[in-house]
Amino acid sequence: MEKDKVKFFDRMKSNEYYVRWLKNPFTYVTAAVLLALFQIVTLAVTKNAWGVSGAFAVWGAWLYQGIGGNVDKWYYFASDSAQATLNNGILNHPDSWRNFGIIFGALAATLLASGFKFKKIKSIKQVFAATIGGLLMGYGARLAFGCNIGALFGGIASLSLSGWIFGIGMFFGAVVGSKLLVKYFM
Amino acid sequence: MKEVMLDCFGEACPVPLIKTQNKLKELEIGDVLIVQIDHSCAMKNVPEWARTEGYNVEVEEVDDGEWEVIIEKNK
Repeated sequence: MEKDKVKFFDRMKSNEYYVRWLKNPFTYVTAAVLLALFQIVTLAVTKNAWGVSGAFAVWGAWLYQGIGGNVDKWYYFASDSAQATLNNGILNHPDSWRNFGIIFGALAATLLASGFKFKKIKSIKQVFAATIGGLLMGYGARLAFGCNIGALFGGIASLSLSGWIFGIGMFFGAVVGSKLLVKYFM
Repeated sequence: MKEVMLDCFGEACPVPLIKTQNKLKELEIGDVLIVQIDHSCAMKNVPEWARTEGYNVEVEEVDDGEWEVIIEKNK
């Protein structure tokens, strides 16, 4: 019985459809088409463009409220719609569900491709780089009312000029960031 | 003909590619550089870059989520 099980997974590993659809990465073109299709679906269903970082701000507010803080006087959370979102809770928040989907979808994809691995932290420099980078990313994403998904992908797909301007800004930011990375954090 | 290992585990793009480029500059013709990576985007862009440079490249999956990119500096 054991021997038959082992042979099945060995055969699956070299099956051409497994390799083509689950193991190997998709081409850039395939990925772009799929992203465009799913962004249309999410726009049609939730009536909002795809966004990721907006949900993080709300998660942060809930965490802060969880430890006794209050964000209701903050300008960002004072509007009626923001208050409604906060009060409805995470299970009623469509943006949160979409982010859960992304996290679990990515996990499923990497497990199916036998590519799951916990990566170790190599040095304290990595921790600093990740923390500073993450804080800047979060801060910038709220200033711009979006990240590479909401402001760039969603913006350009919605034929908004702001999407293109965001793209130019992001490009130069990435150039500066890469030079800093190579110089101080590599 | 040396074989040099370059450990890029735990490093996110573009670090493995930049380290590979710098290391290859130090090697002589005929040397082989083995880059150990665990980042799936590096698994795409390191071999891609090495092939456009004209080097012989082979990618081996050594474990779940771990790859060795074997680059022969042949020119």
